[in-house]
Amino acid sequence: MLTNGPIVILQLPELLNLGGAQSFMQELEPLLESHRPRIVFDCSRVRYIDSAGVEMLLHCLEEAMKRDGDLKLAALSPESEVILELMRVARVFEAYPTSEDAVRSFNAIPAEAIPQDVPWYANVFGDLRTLKQAS
Amino acid sequence: MVAAIVILGPAIQQNIGDGDPVARASTTVAAMPLLQQTRLVCVEVLGRSVVRRVAEELRQNGVEMISVVADASLPVHAGLDPFCDLPVCWTENAWSEAIQKLMTYKENGVEAILLVRVGAYIEFDIADALQFHREHGSAVTRAFAEHNPLEFWIIDPAGVADSDGMLNALTAAYSGRYRVRGYVNRLEHPGDLRRLAVDGLSNRCRLTPVCSETRAGIWIEEGAQVHRDARIVAPAYIGRNAIIAEQCLITRCSNVESNCQIDYGTVVEDSSILSNTYVGIGLDLSHSIADGSKLLNLQRGVTLEIADPCVLRQNGMPNRDRHRQRPGILGLGGAQLTPAREDMR
Repeated sequence: MLTNGPIVILQLPELLNLGGAQSFMQELEPLLESHRPRIVFDCSRVRYIDSAGVEMLLHCLEEAMKRDGDLKLAALSPESEVILELMRVARVFEAYPTSEDAVRSFNAIPAEAIPQDVPWYANVFGDLRTLKQAS
Repeated sequence: MVAAIVILGPAIQQNIGDGDPVARASTTVAAMPLLQQTRLVCVEVLGRSVVRRVAEELRQNGVEMISVVADASLPVHAGLDPFCDLPVCWTENAWSEAIQKLMTYKENGVEAILLVRVGAYIEFDIADALQFHREHGSAVTRAFAEHNPLEFWIIDPAGVADSDGMLNALTAAYSGRYRVRGYVNRLEHPGDLRRLAVDGLSNRCRLTPVCSETRAGIWIEEGAQVHRDARIVAPAYIGRNAIIAEQCLITRCSNVESNCQIDYGTVVEDSSILSNTYVGIGLDLSHSIADGSKLLNLQRGVTLEIADPCVLRQNGMPNRDRHRQRPGILGLGGAQLTPAREDMR
């Protein structure tokens, strides 16, 4: 696979305000400093999010991407989706209905891993060696 | 001589007539809390509230004697459009007061009384309705839309004996039925308010902005300030004294009512910004209604209380008073993204 290390699922706290974000970041910092961090934030318990919480999400995403990793969101409530859309950050994150879906998305083979000179309908899905080379 | 009584208050109780399947099927009482629905008809839509438009429509049709009876629980605050220059009677029981006024008009020899409980926006020809009433000889004629009753009656005072008889006549299933063929919006939900604004801007009804078009499909009221680098895409409405800042985009049948402020770089798409609302910098407000600090997203059906005054707030409030925001029209009956406990505010 293109990425290393386990995929970590973290539950966001109910209150994602300044205080909640700061205490959550204390737990998260070591993970963000690892090589190619792959993180899923489970947002199912979030009941309050403000601009400090959104800023924390953006900061985590930035730090993960700096280290060639990624951060994805899962189980966003409709209210949280509205807030992220309102603040124009919804399109920045990949969001999935469940943590399992988000984890599975990390394991999907990206398009650029498939050789361009191979007809897509012929060998790409049948050629195991090609797939292994791509991963 | 024709008089009118306009009621701002609860829906009248429905008495279902036995053996009348139409009445049984069509009787409904607004599901929303009273105050929420009543506020919908009081807030500005394209520059004027439904209440005000009803009063003006009555005047234009030659009704000179108009009384307004309002429920005392209806809060009067800056967000509510004043009831023109009509005297308003505030009372604990709006319907009792209205019945009393009916009896007074009867004693004064009024030939026909239009009784309107403002809960929906209705377009029809009042003269045609009066003629229908006269021709059919009923003491009470009630307006219907698609077999569902509307809260609009035409009453022949001579045909009703006393106040008890009047109340019974208003709720009876066998009163004369006048079928409204024009536009009807029952305003039972804030989403209906949004639909009313869209229909008005799209010429699907007679509800139009009070000012004339600045450009084709764009109405900008007197006193509004639109930055030269802001973009307004037709059809759209900008209310009196509203401020649209630089790099803003107002699009897709959006209406920004009076005394609003849309700050730098914000996009308002398919949304209604009710009067006296501040929308902060760099936001993306789509398919929503914003009223002070409350935001209703119509796509997801959720209402949020935005605690950050830099994002959304009632306009014109000093910082120290922002925690005492007005009730607004958006109840928080749906899920809300607010702290669960008081000490977390």
